[in-house]
Amino acid sequence: MKKAVIINSLKQAQDIVDLVDAYMVPIQKFSMNYDHVFSLSAIKEIKALNKEVFVIINKNIHNDELAELQNLLNDLDKIAITGLVFYDVALVNLKTKLKLKTDLVWAQEHMTTNYATINYWYDKGVKYAYLSSELTKAEIEQIKAQTNMKLFVNGFGYVPMFSSQRRLVNNYIEHFNLENHQGPKQIYKEGNYYPIIDKENGTTVYSNYVLNAIAKLDVDYLVYNSYLINDEDFKIILKYNKSDKYPEEYGFLYKETIYKVKNNE
Amino acid sequence: MNKPELLSPAGDFERLKIALLYGADAVYIGGNFNLRANADNFNLEEIRKGVSYAHERGKKVYVTVNIAMHNAEVLKIKDYLLKLDKIGPDAIIVSDPAIIKIARENTNLTIHLSTQASTLNKEAVNYWKQEGVKRIVLARECTYEDIKTIKESVDIELEVFIHGAMCASYSGRCVLSNYLTARDSNRGGCSQICRWDFELYDDKEPLKGDKPFTFCTKDLSLIKHIPDLINLGVDSLKIEGRMRSAYYIATIVKVYRTIIDEYWNNPDAYAYNLKYEQILRRVANRDSVPQFFNGIFDKRVQYYNGREEKTNQDFIGIVLDYDSQTGLAKIEQRNYFACGDEIEIFGPTDEMKFVITELYDEYMQPLEIVRHPKQVVYLKVPRAVFANYMVKKA
Repeated sequence: MKKAVIINSLKQAQDIVDLVDAYMVPIQKFSMNYDHVFSLSAIKEIKALNKEVFVIINKNIHNDELAELQNLLNDLDKIAITGLVFYDVALVNLKTKLKLKTDLVWAQEHMTTNYATINYWYDKGVKYAYLSSELTKAEIEQIKAQTNMKLFVNGFGYVPMFSSQRRLVNNYIEHFNLENHQGPKQIYKEGNYYPIIDKENGTTVYSNYVLNAIAKLDVDYLVYNSYLINDEDFKIILKYNKSDKYPEEYGFLYKETIYKVKNNE
Repeated sequence: MNKPELLSPAGDFERLKIALLYGADAVYIGGNFNLRANADNFNLEEIRKGVSYAHERGKKVYVTVNIAMHNAEVLKIKDYLLKLDKIGPDAIIVSDPAIIKIARENTNLTIHLSTQASTLNKEAVNYWKQEGVKRIVLARECTYEDIKTIKESVDIELEVFIHGAMCASYSGRCVLSNYLTARDSNRGGCSQICRWDFELYDDKEPLKGDKPFTFCTKDLSLIKHIPDLINLGVDSLKIEGRMRSAYYIATIVKVYRTIIDEYWNNPDAYAYNLKYEQILRRVANRDSVPQFFNGIFDKRVQYYNGREEKTNQDFIGIVLDYDSQTGLAKIEQRNYFACGDEIEIFGPTDEMKFVITELYDEYMQPLEIVRHPKQVVYLKVPRAVFANYMVKKA
């Protein structure tokens, strides 16, 4: 099982190079849900570390962004990154249109939830799928058994659970004319704090816990997200796969969600 | 350019009839595997009944099958699609591409791509066209320019939301419901956490306005932009709200029907009528704005009201029958009303305003006040009315 790491800085990438197999790199303008995004030149430096590099292009794309996106995709293709992590289906069309060699990672966040759809994308030439964090362990194992697709699963870190094009924190602050101290933001409800970030591409809300399901997962790529995790603590996790500071937390692995449907057969 | 279809939600057969009666060209309904698992969804027999009813009147029915499947649903979906195919709805609305594949390989069902797929650009639209999708329900984040570019670039039907509630997130990119209530939003269990109030902290210090922090946005209304949408060549104008009441459906459908017809029949003479906006405001429980259509999604589209949404009590009854001999309308009560109240009764193309002077209970005994939900009463009306006319406070 490879360790795929979402990094916070170039320095961090260099610092943990011996502990990782792959970097997952959010890119300027076209990523969302990440606090730190990287330029093309920074990605070239990360590529020089001789690990697999997956660039995350996961924002929903408007028409007026397509020209810039095409240039970016051509540039990324030239530096031979390992894969493009995509949300918007435009990338599938552009891969064909631009004759890109770079493989695709289907990563529609909370909708990457079953083997049939994963196999649909596999048949379209997509090589990897980044599974939803809301699956049970049994569902992940069933997907593994039913597909040849290489699978990514979040194993450690805060998990995004809401993404909006709106800048919700900024809107609130402006509406009530409040002073923004530019500190890390959280929202609180019924005893739980949820990190919330407001960036150029919108707002993301994260889980109230740090997922630590490393010991319970066996997939091709286990994703470690360093957002809001101290660099030293993160290094310990990568090195030992456990930490006193972050006890095991399995998210939905053993917790099924429900949805009420009357029997309409 | 074709005249766009007016597409209404229908939570059950009664609302399907109301929507079509009040001027919708088509309705969309939920069966199994849709994103309103807690609505009164249609079983297969009800779908058959709804499709027959609509087709007899030259209207259309689309069935939503727009969940993001988990493994468990994969095993059941083919059988369901085969059964739907036999019934023959005019299309299914789908977001999961595996369902598109299964439908195309095993049925003749026409496929519309759900807004849940968040389609915003011509490249994505091109992809789905190649996959055999006939119509795209565009993402709610689409601007006027996005719609224009897509329409000019790809020959495919486009459906645009014109009215109703909005997700605070990109469709499909919110699982607050899963994390806070263990209900799966992408399989129809959304518990609308985005309407909840939260406390906001900035570096562990409270950041507090006069009202609590919330994700909640105002509703969508493109009432002022119907001519723009028609001129863009949009094929279907969609109203949100499969869980809304018959009164809401009747009112909204009637207003948009009127606007579309007025503009289509004589665009040069068309003038925006503030009266229609006022009617829509009265049935809403939140303010509404054009949202992303005009590129504005800043603080002006947020809704900070401490969850104090207005409860609409205008709707006081529905006409069940009318006796031309006595001039009495048989009414089923929805909200309190009394003799002496000024009321309005409206139908698809008719409306009348008057003061209640004669009111009787079901035994034809004179009555002063109608206070019981679903109470059946008789009301003297100034001229003929018909079943499914709506009664409201004037």
